[in-house]
Amino acid sequence: MKNILDIKKMIYVLIILGSVLINKVSAQDVANGSATANVQAALSIVATQDLQFGSVFQGVSKTVTNNDAAAAGIFTITGAAGAGISAYMTLPQYISTAAGDDRMTIAFRNTDITIDSTSNADPSAFGSGWLDVDPNSLPTGLVIGSDVTPHTMLFLGGRVIPSVDQSAGSYTGNIIVTVAYNGI
Amino acid sequence: MKKKNRVLIGDNSRNSLWGFFIILTLLAAPLSQLAAGVLVAPSVIVLQDKSKTGRMNLQNPSNSPKEVSISFSYGIPESDSLGNVNIFLRDTGITDPHSALGWVKAFPRKLIIPPHGSQVVRFIAKPPKGIADGEYWVRVVVESQEGTTSIPSASDAEQITTQLNMIMRTAIMLKYRTGELVASLELKETIVKVNETSVDVIVDLINNGNVSYVGLLECRLLDADKKIVSKNHIQLAVYKDLKRRVTLPLVEGNFKRPYSVAVSITNKGRKDIPSNEMVFGNDLAYFVGLNE
Repeated sequence: MKNILDIKKMIYVLIILGSVLINKVSAQDVANGSATANVQAALSIVATQDLQFGSVFQGVSKTVTNNDAAAAGIFTITGAAGAGISAYMTLPQYISTAAGDDRMTIAFRNTDITIDSTSNADPSAFGSGWLDVDPNSLPTGLVIGSDVTPHTMLFLGGRVIPSVDQSAGSYTGNIIVTVAYNGI
Repeated sequence: MKKKNRVLIGDNSRNSLWGFFIILTLLAAPLSQLAAGVLVAPSVIVLQDKSKTGRMNLQNPSNSPKEVSISFSYGIPESDSLGNVNIFLRDTGITDPHSALGWVKAFPRKLIIPPHGSQVVRFIAKPPKGIADGEYWVRVVVESQEGTTSIPSASDAEQITTQLNMIMRTAIMLKYRTGELVASLELKETIVKVNETSVDVIVDLINNGNVSYVGLLECRLLDADKKIVSKNHIQLAVYKDLKRRVTLPLVEGNFKRPYSVAVSITNKGRKDIPSNEMVFGNDLAYFVGLNE
């Protein structure tokens, strides 16, 4: 009898789990009675992981590679599977203290971004797409993943170059990514 | 009487199953949070000259508030000689008479959407008097970031820390339509390039209408008996002149040479746009031979 109750509990957990996962999915097909309509999935972009340099030291530059799973910046673009998109990045040249009294150079090489169109979320395990390309000039012909996983991932690396007399403190800057459907 | 067989689950396997479900549940919550950005709908906003108003829905499915700002830019799909398409957003120096930049307003323009909340943004167009019939375009740029920015604290007096704020922008097309609308597409040229494992078809198109031509471009690689070797299609939006490239795989099989490509362009097959928002125009269909 106790075993049956446990199985019931498991079923409840599965239902709750299912509802959580279903909430994740943005439906592309909306059905109402006998009428069915296809709706273009909303295009969205999310910063899944910030580009993290951690603590840095005066006069010692620090590089994060785009295949660093723990520190690379990760963006997830979600939309209609197979739809063509345009994307571009606006990257800072400096990051500054909150008071604005000092700034630090930040640099991005022309190989600092990898774009994975297989929905693989791990920067260290590249699937397919564009490996080590220029973040200042993202490639054309980007598409949203596949029917099963309609995502395209951006993995961004970079480098901070503190000067020998860089003031101690917290430095911030903005990385802006813009996306648009190019078939509408 | 039919005997029901029940599978008895032992303590160890029951505990491990429970552990598995609990881990799955714990994993699912942060996953749903990670996958959540600000969702913008619809994908294209159409304003008519009668009402001159429209709306857009923003939804924040995440567990944290999102700071959102709305701005406008001009940007239509543009192509290079290889048929690669990109959209370049511009704020100044726009000479296109079909630009609606400067006379469409959004309300509100800055907002904070609470966790799992939504917000409607309304648009109103105030076009210049006497504008010609047709369609006018502007991009609605929805910019979002976390509502509470965490600036790292340098705990040690000698420590240098960094924080890069990731800002996401989605650019949605807004179209203002007035008067008599005409969708008309003309074929300028088709270039077929045979590669080792694929065939590239570059279609050069001219928009002769006064609205954007939104449709589908389909290419089929056919053998001498008109059997389909491979096919592919893309969504098409021609605002001005545009080149689009479709790549067809050269698959192995019992196919007879010479090959040809059947090209078909129509704006009647788009299921992702409501039909009352479509301006239907001409279709194009033709064959191109391959020089192998």
